Amino acid sequence: MTNNGNTDRDENILEIEDLAVSFDTEEGEVEALDGVTFSARGKSVTGLIGETGCGKSVTGLTVLGLLDQNARIKRGKVIYKGEDLLDKSERELEKNFRGKEIAMIFQDPGSSLNPVFTVEEQITEAIKMYQNAGREKNRDLAVEMLEKVKLPDAVQLLRRYPHELSGGMKQRVMIAMMLSCNPSLLIADEPTTALDVSIQAQFIKVLREIKEELGTSILYITHDLAVISEICDRVSVMYAGRIVENLSVMELFHEPLHPYSRKLVHSVPGVETSLSDLEEIPGSVPRLINPPTGCRFHPRCEEKGENCSGEVPRLKRVGPDHEVACHKIEVQESEGSP
Amino acid sequence: MNAILELRNLKKFFDSPEGTVKAVDGVNLKVYQGETLGLVGESGCGKSTLVRAALRLIEPTKGEVLLRGEDVVKFDRKRLVEARGQMGLVFQDPHSSLNPRMTVAEILRRPIKIHDLCDSEEMTYNRIVELLETMGLSEEHMIRYPHELSGGQKQRVGVARALAVEPEILFLDEPTSALDVSVQTKILKLLRRTMDQLSLTYVFISHDINLIRTISDRIAVMYLGKIVEVGDTGEVFFNPLHPYTKGLFESVPLPDPEHRIEEVPLPGDVPSPVNPPPGCNFAPRCPKKIDRCEEEEPELGEHENGVQVACWVA
Repeated sequence: MTNNGNTDRDENILEIEDLAVSFDTEEGEVEALDGVTFSARGKSVTGLIGETGCGKSVTGLTVLGLLDQNARIKRGKVIYKGEDLLDKSERELEKNFRGKEIAMIFQDPGSSLNPVFTVEEQITEAIKMYQNAGREKNRDLAVEMLEKVKLPDAVQLLRRYPHELSGGMKQRVMIAMMLSCNPSLLIADEPTTALDVSIQAQFIKVLREIKEELGTSILYITHDLAVISEICDRVSVMYAGRIVENLSVMELFHEPLHPYSRKLVHSVPGVETSLSDLEEIPGSVPRLINPPTGCRFHPRCEEKGENCSGEVPRLKRVGPDHEVACHKIEVQESEGSP
Repeated sequence: MNAILELRNLKKFFDSPEGTVKAVDGVNLKVYQGETLGLVGESGCGKSTLVRAALRLIEPTKGEVLLRGEDVVKFDRKRLVEARGQMGLVFQDPHSSLNPRMTVAEILRRPIKIHDLCDSEEMTYNRIVELLETMGLSEEHMIRYPHELSGGQKQRVGVARALAVEPEILFLDEPTSALDVSVQTKILKLLRRTMDQLSLTYVFISHDINLIRTISDRIAVMYLGKIVEVGDTGEVFFNPLHPYTKGLFESVPLPDPEHRIEEVPLPGDVPSPVNPPPGCNFAPRCPKKIDRCEEEEPELGEHENGVQVACWVA
């Protein structure tokens, strides 16, 4: 099976530009996203990392037009293979994009599957959206998908209901459903957070194989830096509704530039860390009803300067593939700036 | 070294429509004075049940819980309350373990009152302020309700409540797993400092193996209701003897992009604790199993490096 369309490794399959999304709540307007800019490449895994409430899930939902009623898209673009998805009608999204082009899997596999339908019914429903080849063929395809995600006894599995499966199996059934539509981009929102490490290791291997064998691009949303290092090629670091840094996974761990990225990398225990090596970030994540002015990280930043509370830092290119939004980072004028 | 707490053949079974769930099935474990013992294992292995049975928040089915040599399981109500004054518990989810209708002061006043630790209202007040300050909070937080606090602050109140009774052992059941990493470090450092100040002993439960490795002196690995390996953290990580321990550690992603988990270290799923397999519980998933593993259950035995392991081939 080959992929829909062709997107090369160096080409962007998804480009999010200056995206701003607000939610109207009883307490006021929550500026969940305010100028999110990053891209996901073809045939690679892009990580979107950040802490609770930073807007990483909202970003994923915006791409697929799945935001709640109280959300307002204030500005920005979501360019998928050259087309702005924000211009598409609900019908166009449903008919041409969701599932077929871009699929999404969520954190809790238990609540993403319908408890009253068998695995076969749920996978073939997805298959029918894309190619309805009749009952027999659909079932064969369903078995093929289940085998692709390394689920044993695929034929027997078709008759099972979700409650008969373990968490790791359910998450793989979700992947099989999504693969049956043959999308070019998979958005995975904390897919292993509810899973044990041994099951997580199995799952990550399946994702890696999907990327390598089918050429599916993956946008991997997580708060877990260790998982990012395991699976991602590139990373976008989010803080309080903004991207603070876009960089390769190697750069993130070896030379992160934004003070938040640096703190984040040094707050996670690894093999040879002792407690005193771990850095803490003073304060806590701001509420986005009344976010800090200027750089949203400045109240917690140990390196803040005068204009950090005034002016919003823009993403600046600091390397061939490295952008950072911080006033303290000097940019060489010769390199790529206008 | 002195064991402050010793679990002997501790069992906790639950009845379910499918049969008896052996959540904790014959655990032998010593906790030494002044150490941090890390307890790791995957979900459903019985870590939380073990702690609750040791505190008699649920009654153990069988076995002994020796607190400084005395069996807590045999204690009457009055002595049990006393014993619980020596063992504190911090829960995983700070959002649901604090009563939303009580202020921070009321939350902290309760254990002090129940254990009758302060003679006057003024002493109680000062004690509450002291507890808050130990956890990096202050007097002004007393009148706050839990919903007015951040996740990290709530968990610090949770720890302060556990410390209110002046325990000797603190059981920490995934205390930071509901928190963001940037907040986690602060709690961990506060816990370490408090431990030194108050000469505490910690039993730290976590599924985050990198975290346990960083903070524990010794580590105990649980699988399906049993301890499969226990020993010095450095030894166990450097040279895991039980095939489950080895597979578990190899499954853990590291924050290092040069490190890759190439093969799946632990294939298959954890079997149901309702009908655990005969012999060694891990045998069906074990790459090294021999015939004996499926017939006879291995007991914890000590190896040269002082690590105890329950395995026929280790």
